[in-house]
Amino acid sequence: MRPGRSPARFRVVAAAVAAVLAAVLSGCTQQSGRIVPAPAGAAPVEGGTVTMALPPAATPNWIFPIGPPGFSATYNSSLQQLFFMPVYDAVQQGSDLVPTGPGTLGEKPVYSDGDKTVTVPLRRDITWSDGTPVTARDIEFWFDLVKADKADWASYTVGTMPDDVKKFEVVNDHTVRLHLDRSYNPDWFTANQLTLMRALPQQAWDAKSDGGKIGDWDRTTAGAKAVFARLTAHARNLGSYGSDPLWQTVDGPWKIAAWQDTGQVTIVPNPKYTGTQHPHLDKVVFKPFTTADSEYNVMRSGGVDYGYIPPSVLAQKARFESRGYRISSWTGWAVSYIVYNFHSTHAGPEMNQLYIRQAMQHLVDQNGMSDVVWQGSAKPTLGPVPAFPKTQYLSPRMAENPYPYDVDAARALLTSHGWSDRDGTAVCTRPGTGSTECGAGIKKNAPLNLTLLSQSGSTETTNMMQVLKSSLSRAGIDLTVRQQPLNSVLGNSVACKATDPGCDWDMSFFGTAGSWYFPLNPSGEELFSTGASANFGNYSSPEADKLIHAVLYSSDQDAMHAYGEYLSEQLPVMWMPNPAYQVSVIRGDLRGVRQNPTATFSPQSWYYVKKGADQ
Amino acid sequence: MSVISPAVAPGHEEAAQATPSLARRTVQVFTRNKLALAGVVVLALLLLFCYVGPLVHPTDQVHTDLSQANLAPGSAGHLLGTTDLGYDLVGRLMVAGQSSLEVGLAAGVLATVFGTVWGAVSGYFGGWVDAAMMRVTDAALAIPAMFLLVVVSAIITPSKTVLILIIAAVAWLSPARLVRGEALSLRDREYVQAMRMMGGGGARAVFRHIVPNAIGTVIVNATFQVADAILYVSYLAFLGLSIPPPATDWGSMLSSGITYTQNGYWWLIFPAGIAIVLVVGAFNFIGDGLRDAFEVRLQKK
Repeated sequence: MRPGRSPARFRVVAAAVAAVLAAVLSGCTQQSGRIVPAPAGAAPVEGGTVTMALPPAATPNWIFPIGPPGFSATYNSSLQQLFFMPVYDAVQQGSDLVPTGPGTLGEKPVYSDGDKTVTVPLRRDITWSDGTPVTARDIEFWFDLVKADKADWASYTVGTMPDDVKKFEVVNDHTVRLHLDRSYNPDWFTANQLTLMRALPQQAWDAKSDGGKIGDWDRTTAGAKAVFARLTAHARNLGSYGSDPLWQTVDGPWKIAAWQDTGQVTIVPNPKYTGTQHPHLDKVVFKPFTTADSEYNVMRSGGVDYGYIPPSVLAQKARFESRGYRISSWTGWAVSYIVYNFHSTHAGPEMNQLYIRQAMQHLVDQNGMSDVVWQGSAKPTLGPVPAFPKTQYLSPRMAENPYPYDVDAARALLTSHGWSDRDGTAVCTRPGTGSTECGAGIKKNAPLNLTLLSQSGSTETTNMMQVLKSSLSRAGIDLTVRQQPLNSVLGNSVACKATDPGCDWDMSFFGTAGSWYFPLNPSGEELFSTGASANFGNYSSPEADKLIHAVLYSSDQDAMHAYGEYLSEQLPVMWMPNPAYQVSVIRGDLRGVRQNPTATFSPQSWYYVKKGADQ
Repeated sequence: MSVISPAVAPGHEEAAQATPSLARRTVQVFTRNKLALAGVVVLALLLLFCYVGPLVHPTDQVHTDLSQANLAPGSAGHLLGTTDLGYDLVGRLMVAGQSSLEVGLAAGVLATVFGTVWGAVSGYFGGWVDAAMMRVTDAALAIPAMFLLVVVSAIITPSKTVLILIIAAVAWLSPARLVRGEALSLRDREYVQAMRMMGGGGARAVFRHIVPNAIGTVIVNATFQVADAILYVSYLAFLGLSIPPPATDWGSMLSSGITYTQNGYWWLIFPAGIAIVLVVGAFNFIGDGLRDAFEVRLQKK
C-alpha cells in the first residue's frame, strides 16, 4: 500500500475544476424562449395566461383573510385580496400612496367627534359571487370574528385593532361607524388600522359546523369562536382550496382555479365580479420556487412571464432586453439601516454621541453602494420615511441627504471633538463633556473601534460591509465585521441593558431584503419610540417620542414631516441603501404591470398587447 | 483521474548501479522525477509571486474603490482587471495566496506533527494505551470533517490562527494511523530492543528511534496534508466561512467571483481557481517524488 495517497484527493481537484468550468460555461450557453417584442403602443388583446414567479421559498398556504401567526406573509395577503376585495389598501396614485382606489370596497372615511369616531362608507355596486350584495353586515362579521379570536390573528398587537374600537356600529347597509377609545391621527388610523378591515361573506360562512345552519352566530363570543374555528379548520386543508365551496364565494376580480400543496396557485377571472377592474387575462399562475437560483434557471428558459433576477446579473440587462423582456426594479415601501446599540458595554458611550453618528453617516457612500454593489437596484435611505417613491409622507427637506458621503467632513467632526489620528486609528485625546471634548463616558486614549454583526449569505451585503469598513477606516474608525446567519444576527442583537450578558455588540445589520417594511403610513412607533418592540438598539429620545405620539394621535397632517425631519438628522440608526423588493423581469408584450411598493399585485390590470409567444 | 505512476525515468537502472550515500541517492531519485521537479518549480514560482510580487506590484488591498469596480483585464494599471469592489486582481491574488499558503502549510505541518507523535506513542506502547488512543482516532474519523469545520467556523469568526487550529484538528487523524502502523513494525526491531535492554525509556524510543525511522512516511504524508489543508481553506471560504475581509484567500476570491458567472466576468474565477489547482497539484507531485525517493525498495529494483 502506498502511504498517504488518496485518489479521492484527485477526484476533488477534478470536481473543483469541472464545477468552475461548468459554472463559467453555463453563462454562455444558448438560451431558449426568445419572445418577439411587441411594438410600443400596440393594441391590447383580451385573454392569455401569465405565469408569475413567487419570491424564493414563498409558499402561499392561507386563504382565509384572517391569518393566524405564521401564516400572515405578504404573498398570502396579496393573493387573498384578489378573491376578497380589501376595504382599504395601499393604492399608488401618481407617486403618492393612498388608502382608496378602484379596487377598494371602502370610500374615503369621515372622521368626527375630535377624531374619536370614524364613519366608513362602502361602495354599493359590489356583490358576492352568489348574488348577495356586499354590505356592512359582512364587515361586522369580520369584526366579530377578530374580536373573539384576536389572539389567533397575526395582525393583532395589544391596544390596536380591535382593542381601539370601543363600539362597532352598523349605520345602514353601506355604512359602518367605529367609535374609538381615543382620538387618533386620521391618516395613521386609516392607513394602518382600517386597512386591516375585511368584508367576509357572512351569508355563506356564518355557520358553527359544516352543514350547520347559517345564522347570526358571530354576534355572541362563543358563536364567533365556533365559526372562526370552523373556517380555520377549512383553511388548514391546503389541498382542498380549489374544490372547497367555502372559498368559492368571492367578491374580488378573481377566483381560485387550483391551489396545490406545493404552493402553486392558479386563478381565473370571477365571472360574477361587479366591480370596475375586470381582468383581461384568462388565467394567472403563481409559481413557487425554493431558491432564487432555481427561479433564475426557469426564467432563462422562458418558463415564467414575470420573474426576477439577482441584482448581480443586472449587468446583463441588455441580454434580457434583446430576448424580449423588460427589467424593472420593484421598489419596496421600506427603510434599511444598521442598528446602533446605545447600551453597548463595548462602545455605548461612543454610540450616544450625535457627532460620532453624524461622522459615521458621512462615511456611508450610499450612492456608490446603490449603483455599484447593488447594480443600481437599491436606493439610498435618507431617514425613517422611505425616500423612494416620493410620496406625500416625504417633505422636501426629507428628500435631501443631510449627511452626504464626505470623508473630510467626518474627519473634521471627529477632530473638533478631541479625536486624533494615531497610526490610522482615531483615539480620544480630549476626554470630557465640553463641546470640543469626546463626550461622557469616553476615556482618554480610547480608540474608536466598533463591532458589527452582519447577516451572511449575500454577496451584496458582504460587499456593502467591506465598503463601509473601508470608508470608516479613512476617518480612523476601526470596524470589525462579524458575519452570521440572519437568525443568529436577529437572536444576538436583541434590545439589552448594559448589565445583561451579550450586550457587547455595537452595531447590527439584517437588511439584505430591507430592514423594515411599512404597511401604508410609515410611522415608526415600533422602531424608534422608547422601549418599542423593534427598537433593538434602545434608542430613546423624549423629543422623538413626542413626535411619534403626534403621528399616531394628533390631528396634525404634517406630524409625519416633523417626525421624519427630526429623526433623519438625529440618526437613531445608520441609514443604509434600501434594496429593491425584487429586480423584476417582465415579458415585453405584457403590459399594465404596476409594482406596488407594499408588495401586493393586481393582475386584473395586466394585459397582453399581442398573443404571447408561448400561448 | 488516474494517479501519477511512480516515475521510472530513463536511465534509472544505470543510476541504481552506483552506490552513493543515502541522502544523495534520495536527491537523485527525486530529481529524476520530472513531475516532482515541476511541482517544486511551480511552488517556488507561486511563493515568489505571493511574497515578492507585492514589492514589484504594490496595490491597495485594504480600501475599496467603487469607481474602479469590475474593470476588464487589460484596463490601465490592472493586468487582470479588478474585482467587484475595485481591488486590483493581480495584487489580490498575491495577498490571497499568502493567506492560503500560510494557513495550508501551518495546518498541514501542525496536523502531521501531532498525528505523528500520537501514532508513534500509540503504536510503540501498544496494549490498552494503543486501544484507547486508536479508538479516539477512529471515533473522530467517523465524523465527517467538512461537517465539523462548517459547524466550528459558523460559531466563531475565524482568524488565521483559528483557521489553522480547526483544520489541523480534523487533519491529524490520517498521519496518526499511518505512523502507528509504522511504529508497530519498528518497535520489535533489534535496535529498539537493544536500547530497551540498556535501560532506555519510552520517550527515547519514540523520539530517537520510532519517529526518525518513520520519517519517510511522515514527510510524504505531510506534503499531502498541506495540499489537503489548502483545499479545506478553499472549501470553507467557498462556503463563506473564512477570514473576514478585507483579508482574503483564493477560495474566498473564487466564491465571490462565482456570483458574477452570469455576467461573464471570467477574471474573477479562473485566476483564483487555477492558483488553487496549481498549488495543490504541486504539493501532490512533490509528495509523489518524495515517496519514491524514500522508498528504498524502488532503488533496489
